[in-house]
Amino acid sequence: MQSALDPAGGDAWDLYWLTIVMTVGATVIFIFVTALLLYAIFAPPESRAWLGTRRTIVYGGLAFPIVTLSLLLPYGLVVMRNTDVPQAGALQIEAVGEQYWWRVRYPAEGEQGEFSTANELVVPIGRPIAVTVTSFDVIHSFWIPNFGGKIDMIPGRINTFNFTADRPGIYRGVCAEFCGAQHARMAFDVMALEPAAFEAWRRAQAQPAREPATPFLERGRQLFRSGGCGSCHVVRGTDADGRVGPDLTHVGSRRTIGAGQFPNNIGTLAGWIANVQHIKPGARMPSYGSLTGEDLRALAGYLESLK
Amino acid sequence: MSGTRTLQVLLTLGGMLAWAVQFTVVYGATSTLCARGWADATLFGLGVVPFTILTTTLAALAAAAILLVVCVRAERQSRDRPASATDRFLSHAGMLINGLSLVAILWNGVPAFILPACA
Ligand code: HEC
Ligand SMILES: [Cu+2]
Repeated sequence: MQSALDPAGGDAWDLYWLTIVMTVGATVIFIFVTALLLYAIFAPPESRAWLGTRRTIVYGGLAFPIVTLSLLLPYGLVVMRNTDVPQAGALQIEAVGEQYWWRVRYPAEGEQGEFSTANELVVPIGRPIAVTVTSFDVIHSFWIPNFGGKIDMIPGRINTFNFTADRPGIYRGVCAEFCGAQHARMAFDVMALEPAAFEAWRRAQAQPAREPATPFLERGRQLFRSGGCGSCHVVRGTDADGRVGPDLTHVGSRRTIGAGQFPNNIGTLAGWIANVQHIKPGARMPSYGSLTGEDLRALAGYLESLK
Repeated sequence: MSGTRTLQVLLTLGGMLAWAVQFTVVYGATSTLCARGWADATLFGLGVVPFTILTTTLAALAAAAILLVVCVRAERQSRDRPASATDRFLSHAGMLINGLSLVAILWNGVPAFILPACA
């Protein structure tokens, strides 16, 4: 699902071809030179004599590398110049790396209000995207292999990553800089949607959280409040306004939870709440192991209903 | 070591020294100018950064080219006149080193004309 060899955007194609040209070229030259070396060692002296002539050295040892490198240098520089270029009218998204998840904010744009989500980047295809990244704690690195280069998330510094998604699909992003014990459990989903589907998603995300539709879900909301979840999580439209953890206003609409750890459903949500420290030891959320099964189901059901 | 020998060695390695100086000036000037926020400043109609790189590169190329000519001459002379093996080696190596330095200096200057100065 995540592959740098399956480009899905303009820059990723340029980088892909650069990689192919370099790898194939280097392999061919390596094999050729090794063959010559073996020939020089094992061939009878009279047939290998030409290897030591001035002509061989001037053409093979000087002219060939100079010509090859003189072509590769401008090619590499041109690719470098053309990738990650800021585009006018780009969709702005802000991503903040935290141990061990991704805070994602969509600033207001025109009529569209701002909102936050976590561990997912939803983008329209065909429109340039500018993701500004930074970190809250240690250095992380933001990498979506299908869309090209990675970019470091450095505390106190804002970097920008520019790309355009060519085709719809679900891609995977990862943290590419060791950031602590749960570094390997820090991934995110990238959803590239048709523009209309993106607009619908974005409108829905800007809405406040849904009211619980049944008494069971209402009980879930009560437990969310009494459990103190709101001191770390935002649920817009309720009094939960904590900023430590992910915004849960529409947590039910996400594909995965726990920074790409589990598919999102009532079972995994309940498992997460009861066992965070077992699943992701060191994550900045305590396990709620003492909830009864019934309470856990109500709480998880409430979160799942927050579409 | 006699004075002539020292001079000969300097001639032989001169291209590399020119390349080293160019390298230091190009890297140092680019990072300093960019850090000082001079990305858009111009000199004689050219950005300060490309201007610095261009003049440094041309100067280094000129130095390496002159040394190359000197070494080629020395090599010719050592053919006509009886010369020691060391003399012949030094002038021969000097030709190659200064020639390759020309290429290295050129490569070092190329990025200035493809990439934006401070990015
Ligand atoms: C001390 C702060 C804190 C408290 C209290 C807290 N959480 Fe969390 N929560 C976090 C952090 C931090 C994360 C992100 C962990 C990670 O993935 O590394 C998180 C993640 C989650 C997620 C996954 C979200 C996603 O999109 O991946 C859910 C669901 C969740 N918490 C529910 C709850 C519930 C329900 C409660 C109350 C019973 C609660 N949390 C209490 C800090 C907290
Ligand atoms: Cu990380």
